Amino acid sequence: MTLFRKRVSIKGTLLTLLLPAGIGLMAIAWLIHGLLLERMSREFLESRLKDEVAFLELHIRQADGRIDRLQTGDYFEEVFHHAFAIQSPDQTVISPLSWKPLLMPLLQSDGNESLRVKDATIANAPSDILAYRKSFLVSGVPIRVIVSEDMGALKNSQAELHAWTAIMSILLIILLAGIIWFGINLSMRPVVSLQAALKRLQSGEISRIDAEAPEEFQPLVQQLNQLLDSLDQRLERSREALANLSHSVKTPIAAVRQVLDDTSRPLDESLRHEMGSRLGDIDRQLEAEMRRSRFAGPQIGKSAFPVKQARDLLWMLGRLYPEKSFELSTSLTEEFRWPIEEHDLNEILGNLLDNAGKWSAECVELSLEQHDGLALIVVTDDGSGVSEGDLVNLGQRGRRLDEQTPGHGLGLAIVREIVARYEGETSFSNGLKGGLKVLIKISI
Amino acid sequence: MRLLLVEDDRLLADGLASQLEKAGFSVDVTGTAKEAMLLGVQEDYRAAVLDLGLPDGNGLDVLRKWRQDNANFAVLILTARGDWQDKVSGLKAGADDYLAKPFQAEELIARLNAIVRRSEGRVLSSVKAGHFELDENRQCLKIDDGTEHSLTGTEFRLLRCLMSHPGRIFSKEQLMEQLYNLNESPNENVIEAYIRRLRKLVGPETIETRRGQGYLFNDAF
Repeated sequence: MTLFRKRVSIKGTLLTLLLPAGIGLMAIAWLIHGLLLERMSREFLESRLKDEVAFLELHIRQADGRIDRLQTGDYFEEVFHHAFAIQSPDQTVISPLSWKPLLMPLLQSDGNESLRVKDATIANAPSDILAYRKSFLVSGVPIRVIVSEDMGALKNSQAELHAWTAIMSILLIILLAGIIWFGINLSMRPVVSLQAALKRLQSGEISRIDAEAPEEFQPLVQQLNQLLDSLDQRLERSREALANLSHSVKTPIAAVRQVLDDTSRPLDESLRHEMGSRLGDIDRQLEAEMRRSRFAGPQIGKSAFPVKQARDLLWMLGRLYPEKSFELSTSLTEEFRWPIEEHDLNEILGNLLDNAGKWSAECVELSLEQHDGLALIVVTDDGSGVSEGDLVNLGQRGRRLDEQTPGHGLGLAIVREIVARYEGETSFSNGLKGGLKVLIKISI
Repeated sequence: MRLLLVEDDRLLADGLASQLEKAGFSVDVTGTAKEAMLLGVQEDYRAAVLDLGLPDGNGLDVLRKWRQDNANFAVLILTARGDWQDKVSGLKAGADDYLAKPFQAEELIARLNAIVRRSEGRVLSSVKAGHFELDENRQCLKIDDGTEHSLTGTEFRLLRCLMSHPGRIFSKEQLMEQLYNLNESPNENVIEAYIRRLRKLVGPETIETRRGQGYLFNDAF
């Protein structure tokens, strides 16, 4: 199992297992083929040599043992293409003559058997021969017959055949590798589509995995989708609960505040002020915590349409500040998505634009771009800007540069916090015309 | 100045009503969506303060009903949640401003006065050309097929300029006067960018380019 403990791809594992196995099996088959080929050809040859000896014996018997009567040209050599030797007590015939030194020693002994001579060094004669010897009596005269074949020639053609088999084997291995590769790819195809679906899920293009997953992965996909469902439900429920809580707490606070503000009611002036500020504290604390708990943060399967949302917010702020102009500059299309939860993006854009709207003289510009996997949000206003020293304090919790514009500090602090959840960057600088410029970078 | 206060919390409603009366409004108070719908259409108010969370319905539905029945008084919505989407939906439904609870009565009165003043000179005005209708009050573009697009300030001014004289050619310099931009010296590229964006809304043939002369709104499309 150590092989699988390492993080290897299924494809890689299958290839490392199947390919060497295929090559090994092919090599074994080739070796066995070689052995069988050798044995078969030898057996075939032996039986032929035996037949020829029997044929010669028949002729010798017909000639009544008179070998010289057989000697009518090269008849045997031409018919059999084999060398032969016949020996009677008074005569020895060897054809062709050049084989004589090779065959003579074989004639010295008796018995019917196959003989093999290897590594002989005789001029004009082969070094490796297979021979069959038979001894018999014709009319009481002992005769020995040997028929032999040059094994060299046979071996050469055998080696050639074996080499061809090797070439064929290699071609088959290549073919096998191709088939294995194809087979693996084919069976991995659903996994690849699953992988693509996961990627699209991550980038927020889809909210659930709908890819056709192989049977083995079906439970996994189902569980993942269920998990996403339950995450969604939890977010929705907690937001719902917060909204209800907000409504049931804020309205009474507003009511009590109204009563306190009513100066016609008999109440000690300092007590009225004290109670008012306490109520204000409660409200601020509550508001900050509630808005914070509404963040979703980066969540798989969630995405927003930045241009559509920005248009709505710009339009709304244009209505609220009719004397100011809220402009959008972007090269993204309406259908463009960012993997940022919708409410979170609204909170970022809304707070930035609202803040800019409060401080601007007549124009606020929002720019949405995407470069190199970075979502860029830039909000510029033409207000009086913020002094260099105060820039670093912007967006810090509890800091307010101007007590007269309530909520200023909270809005930017919320933006900072959401952006930090997405591991993004918030930076403040003074724009070209003096207003504040907020730049947000979130990698997507 | 008659004002309708729609708020279901008795204490808040009473307190607000007395503060508003002190500020010179004559106030009718109701705590239900049903009554609010009727009153808004029957009576002649100049303004309304509308709480979104009502016991028998959503404040937005009340607002939509009013606007549908041509009740065009200024409306300020009160919301307990600071959700941006709620604010956008509120304004899209026809509100003029919103205020998050809790608030100070002075701020409410100041905002009310502002939106009443704004709505004062407001007449139902729209510019129509071809299949398009530009709603001047709400700064949005309605298309014959029922879709509605919200416009930014400059988009609205450019489109109003072009649509008010269909067929007339406007030079880039003329259109530049409609521009409101942070750029030190707004150049002609900015006009082109806005025209491109408007063409996405109204279709490429509707705003024609005349080489060397400018742009015109073709209402035949």
